Amino acid sequence: MAKRNPSIDTKNLTAVQLMELDACVRCGECVKWCPTYAASGEKPGLAPRDKILRWRQYMNKSYGLKARLFGPQEIPISELEEFKDDVHGCTTCGICSTVCEAGINTVELWESMRANLVKKGIGPYGKQNMFPKLIGQYRNPYMKDQKDRLAWVPPDVKIEDKADIVYFTGCTAGYNQLALAFATSRVLNKLGIKFAMLGEDEWCCGSALIRTGQAHINNVPYELAKHNVEAIQKKGAKKVLFACAGCFRAAKVDWPRLLGKELPFEVVHVSEFLAGLIKEGKIKWEKSINKTVTYHDPCHLGRHVGVFDAPRYVLSHIPGVKFVEMDRIKEFQRCCGAGGGVKAGLPDLAMAVAESRVKDALDTKADILSSCCPFCKRNLMDGRDSLKVDLVVEDVIELVAEALNLETK
Amino acid sequence: MVYFSGLSDALRITFVQMMILSAIAIVIFLYGMIITLQKWGSGATGYALEPQEGKRGSAITFLKTWWKQVTEKSPHGHGKPILEILILDILFQRRILKRSGLRWVMHILIFAGWMTLFALSGLMFSVELTHMIGIELPFTPHMFREWLSIPNYIFGYILLIGVLIAIVRRLFVSEVREASIMYDWVLIGVVFLVTISGFLADGIRTGLIWDFGLDPSLAPPAALFHSVISLLFCIAFIPYSKYIHIIAIPLALLANKGGE
Repeated sequence: MAKRNPSIDTKNLTAVQLMELDACVRCGECVKWCPTYAASGEKPGLAPRDKILRWRQYMNKSYGLKARLFGPQEIPISELEEFKDDVHGCTTCGICSTVCEAGINTVELWESMRANLVKKGIGPYGKQNMFPKLIGQYRNPYMKDQKDRLAWVPPDVKIEDKADIVYFTGCTAGYNQLALAFATSRVLNKLGIKFAMLGEDEWCCGSALIRTGQAHINNVPYELAKHNVEAIQKKGAKKVLFACAGCFRAAKVDWPRLLGKELPFEVVHVSEFLAGLIKEGKIKWEKSINKTVTYHDPCHLGRHVGVFDAPRYVLSHIPGVKFVEMDRIKEFQRCCGAGGGVKAGLPDLAMAVAESRVKDALDTKADILSSCCPFCKRNLMDGRDSLKVDLVVEDVIELVAEALNLETK
Repeated sequence: MVYFSGLSDALRITFVQMMILSAIAIVIFLYGMIITLQKWGSGATGYALEPQEGKRGSAITFLKTWWKQVTEKSPHGHGKPILEILILDILFQRRILKRSGLRWVMHILIFAGWMTLFALSGLMFSVELTHMIGIELPFTPHMFREWLSIPNYIFGYILLIGVLIAIVRRLFVSEVREASIMYDWVLIGVVFLVTISGFLADGIRTGLIWDFGLDPSLAPPAALFHSVISLLFCIAFIPYSKYIHIIAIPLALLANKGGE
């Protein structure tokens, strides 16, 4: 009788991650806090605890004691397909990791499971499978021409050819959420900060591919990271500013990992940069905003890399801003719903999560819901529009621009 | 009544027989741990890597990968010092305290009770062994056991209270009960059984509180039962059940630098 092979392999799952599956004691904290589980109406498969349970069962069926003695137990493809759907119903927000009493790094576990299944030909989810082709071909996920990377730049913005600082716009701000790009560039000019940009040499950060388990397809994220780092170095930059939380996280965490070495420059989120300037007294405000503002922590800026205070510092120093906090903030904030490929793959789920977050903001009675990520801004605006409520959604950098009497169009 | 275990006065368990039972339990435990470490070791040695094609999982691979992750810098740029993790996260279990005071109390009671009783049992065994191989100590094994009777009782009650909180919570808190599976029930069930059997065995022997009016001649079989199921469920059973978390969680916390 032919020896049966296990139905699953362990590609992309590290030995430590396999151990983490046995570390879960099923306390259920992750389930209480998971934004997609809540927004889905508590669909059992989306609960982080149950994803871990299932993969542990798959491992035991394939490599455990019974498998050793009697051969691996088959896991039907339909079951793996269902698991794939559930593991992709996650924005990789990381709150499960924050509350996990066993200290499991759940975000990387989900990403590893996704990559494992994609390699098996199961997944990713829906339109996410377009990412490698789009980003590989166009160098951005929006099918825009790379030549138009700087098409948004207005005549009044001065960009250096080379400078100590490079402003990395990111695909979403550079092609879609242009107000952020206008705001960031004008603010830097106003503050006398010389900066360069990469133009058509700015390629996608690769985050969308890495988060959806597709980093291995044609090695696209590695090529993106390598190219971006070389392009930044050619500009002579010592520091790279990011106004997008996703790009910032990719540069800070993913690029060094992909390239296997530390980056030859510092990566800074624009909120951190501005907070530093405010502390040095280098910002002379010109206009009072006179609004109540609440702040949504982008997952990739907050939980993933620990930047919570800088945006708050900036907001609370903008004249006229009355800053109020939502109920769930900092490491316990509720995700906007867009990340992890969910906006592309499961737009209804992304919308439901966004609506929950907008409702959190409405509870504060704030006039403005602010954030530090164009992708959060996009999804929160969609959530607001879906709820048909009156709430302005503006990035922190846009409010800074306003307070410096700068246009964001 | 003098302490001994066995089916009856005539069929007392000897030290050597107990040693054999212990060795069997340890062998079962070690076999389970080897399979578990090999299962873990079937994973890749680093982020985004693949395990070697055609190669069986290796315990050494797991240990090397784990150690590498413990000692390398966190890619996220944050992480706690090892000593802080050992004391505050592993011993003090602050990650549980941050989430729920009640669950922290429950688990700390179980943890402190179980670990201390395990250590005290180990100490009594060591003294017994030392005596058996002819090394003279300033006290006899019987005297040592009597000295430890109060700590055994104290930590036995600590464990029991923790276990009872766990059982009540799992039975009467609906969200916990509805989420429970056999994997959960078995662990709390066996811990409860071992704890209660210990109290019963000693109670029947001493005639104090836990005797329930039972015949003292039942004390040796009760002690034997407690010894055997302790060896079975507190040592042998670890790798085959949810008990594995007592090994996996400290390793996970260290590897992930205290967690997010």
